[in-house]
Amino acid sequence: MLTDLFAPPRRPALLLGALAAVVALLIGYAAGLLTARPSTPGDNSPEAGFARDMSAHHAQAVEMAMIAWQKSTDPDVREMAYNIATGQQAQIGIMQTWLLDWHLLPTGTRPKMAWMPDGTKELLPDGRMPGMATDAELNQLRTLTGQPLDVLFCQLMLRHHLGGIHMVSGLLSLSHDKQVTDVAEQMKNAQQNDVTNMRRLLTDLNAQPLPS
Amino acid sequence: MSISSPQTGGTRRPSTKPAAGAKPAGKSTKSASPAKPAAKGGGRPPITPVKVSQGTNWGPIALFSLVGLIAIGIIGFGVWQVFKPVDTWQQKADAIPGIVNYKKTEPDYLKAAQHQFGPITYKQSPPVGGPHNPNWQRCQGDVYDAAIANEHAVHAMEHGAVWITYRPDLPKAQVDKLAAKVRGNDYMLMSPYPGLNKPISLQAWGYQLKLDNADDSRIDQFIQALRQNASQEAGVVCSAGNYINTTGTTPHDLGKEASPAAS
Repeated sequence: MLTDLFAPPRRPALLLGALAAVVALLIGYAAGLLTARPSTPGDNSPEAGFARDMSAHHAQAVEMAMIAWQKSTDPDVREMAYNIATGQQAQIGIMQTWLLDWHLLPTGTRPKMAWMPDGTKELLPDGRMPGMATDAELNQLRTLTGQPLDVLFCQLMLRHHLGGIHMVSGLLSLSHDKQVTDVAEQMKNAQQNDVTNMRRLLTDLNAQPLPS
Repeated sequence: MSISSPQTGGTRRPSTKPAAGAKPAGKSTKSASPAKPAAKGGGRPPITPVKVSQGTNWGPIALFSLVGLIAIGIIGFGVWQVFKPVDTWQQKADAIPGIVNYKKTEPDYLKAAQHQFGPITYKQSPPVGGPHNPNWQRCQGDVYDAAIANEHAVHAMEHGAVWITYRPDLPKAQVDKLAAKVRGNDYMLMSPYPGLNKPISLQAWGYQLKLDNADDSRIDQFIQALRQNASQEAGVVCSAGNYINTTGTTPHDLGKEASPAAS
């Protein structure tokens, strides 16, 4: 068999071509084995864009929740605020760790929301991401106390969550990175539950959600 | 592709059988091709054709050498792509022309970052680190239209913020360009800085870059390399409970009475 292989074949070009094809396939397989394993999302990937933008989006939720935690006297509102502040700050840490693991900087080179198709068109006229509060709204939240504080907090956070859920859904339709989508699914579920609870809180406070 | 190669072997093997069958006619070795003995008829075993067939066959050697080299190239490139060293943020920062890295010249000053009330004299102008007020300046994309206290700004940089300062006579169009890089971006703040010796100065903890123009591409490089990365405390925030988001160069000593030994 081996000697057959080295005998001059009748059509040497055909044999050599076949052998070359087999060798090429083996090379391709080996190269794939060697290089495919550590591939991670790139600088302009949806995953990286999401990690950066959602970190900033979460940071504002944490700030609003900390204001409510500090100033509200309603146990339900304070519990909600505590949960959001600690949970979203932890999620910021998770997202920043992704970027570290992927050897990417916390700051990207593209505009906010550019990782979503037509995402930059969804920015509010002053450049805010969906659901985010204005500086004026935050300052107002800082000045209020009592029931008006609880109402404004629930209104702002409800709108904030709806914007966040929209962004998470955008990521889930783009990413197949299980590490990322697992956390994103959890964010979505948690925020959807918060939305339900805050709608109920607003009803209890005799108030309505902000017009969207 | 891979299916065709066994078939090639299969078609070749029957073709050698006539050669084996023709053996008695000539004492040629097993490798003689069927056509040659037929041509020679009943003559002596041909020597020359045998030598040719057993000679070094450069064709396959060249082919496999070439394929091997290509293979090494492909695999080597792939491995290099995957494992090539990525520049750290420190390397990216140090590569920016004109940047000053005070961590190299003032390492002890920048490590001993104590909290203290009241005005503080800094070694750099604008400061890039050192002792600071217990309260930090809010740095969630805040664009301040008047000067702020160094003592709060330094604390914001300790949390990873990039602080953009500009001389008050910088044209409004350039101020607006700078503000667009700050507004709405977490870990960014900006304020005018009277007495600045250049039109624009960028600061992060330990680093400074002074510039003449808001169109300078090094501004984005500075922000990308150092925003959050220059932080001295992993994971700390730019919002604050006892927030300072007002202007004025005298530090706001919130809680000074309550904690005289504040550290």
